[in-house]
Amino acid sequence: MEKSIETIWKEGFLKSDALIAPKLNNLYNQKSKHIIDKFKRMFKMNLILIVLGSFIVLGASFIVGLPYLGVPMFIILNVLVILNKRLLNTLMLIDKSVSSYDYLISFDNWLKFQISINKKFARILYPTVFLSLMIGFWMKIEEGQRVGDHVVNKLLLTYPDLHLLFGVPLIGIIGALIVSGLLILLGGRIYEWDLRIVYGRELNKLDEIIVDVEELRA
Amino acid sequence: MSSDFYTTKILPYVGIIIKMCRAYTNSQEDFEDYYQEVCLQIWRSSENYNQKSEWSTWIYRISLNVCLTLLKKKKNNTQHFASDYLPPELVEDSHAFEDESLNQLYDAIRQLSEIDRGVIMLYLEEKSYQEIADIIGSNPNNIGVRIKRIKERLKKILN
Repeated sequence: MEKSIETIWKEGFLKSDALIAPKLNNLYNQKSKHIIDKFKRMFKMNLILIVLGSFIVLGASFIVGLPYLGVPMFIILNVLVILNKRLLNTLMLIDKSVSSYDYLISFDNWLKFQISINKKFARILYPTVFLSLMIGFWMKIEEGQRVGDHVVNKLLLTYPDLHLLFGVPLIGIIGALIVSGLLILLGGRIYEWDLRIVYGRELNKLDEIIVDVEELRA
Repeated sequence: MSSDFYTTKILPYVGIIIKMCRAYTNSQEDFEDYYQEVCLQIWRSSENYNQKSEWSTWIYRISLNVCLTLLKKKKNNTQHFASDYLPPELVEDSHAFEDESLNQLYDAIRQLSEIDRGVIMLYLEEKSYQEIADIIGSNPNNIGVRIKRIKERLKKILN
């Protein structure tokens, strides 16, 4: 007579080797490696996308007549990529043969260093992007004349006493300088905000796993 | 996770976790990943254990939920597969146990839907319909009907 599934179940698990638990030793090693590899992949992908983006911006800027926008953006984005590529190279130097805790801590330290450098760079990046946009549109040629000159001519009709500095309204220069100043001041925070959007989930996971391993070591 | 927690709170119930994880995995590698994740989640969730149910029931619940979550994640990562079901000849882990009948039963269980696997595992572990309903989030009458259907399906597959 055929065995019922209940009997197969009971008899099968009577055998001594049926319920041998796997070792948990590798849990944190696997998790650490997994999360750090994921970060590396994301960083690399991010850099590739920035390079591609910079070429698209450069090409498009010439097509639509905004080279003063495209060239500085291209340069600043590629400086950003070179800087981060160098940082990424230092990440590869982290010793993988150490314990998962030491590996995680080394990575966390690297990440903090990387963030601090990028926060400083953001104070140059964001104002440069802003000024590129302003200058780019200002210098765009339309109907044989720069857009900026069109604007100034129209403004002078309404405000004949408008103060100009090198052909640019002083009020506009002051406004651009204030915005640039704010971007220099807040660049670090904007970068942090940007970072949380892109890497927030992974950063939280990394914090969680470090807390777990620290508890394990306690 | 402290070794004390593992020794006192998990190790005595390790059979539950192994049995459950085997039903949701097709290879030793996956099985070890699922097992480790279940242990980790039991440890993490232990603060929320409210003692309304037995510790073993709590472990069943967490094991099942973790397995379902991991399976869902795996499916999302391999969207080209319509189902996680693999024919027995492609299941690397179809000889995980010494007992051949048990291996065949596991192969059959792996052909069931995700929830049905959980239901039949709990039934085979002699949980009452009420307990199964509590763990799955259903009602005992539905569970009874479902178990009957699952058993018929398993019988068909095994034959």
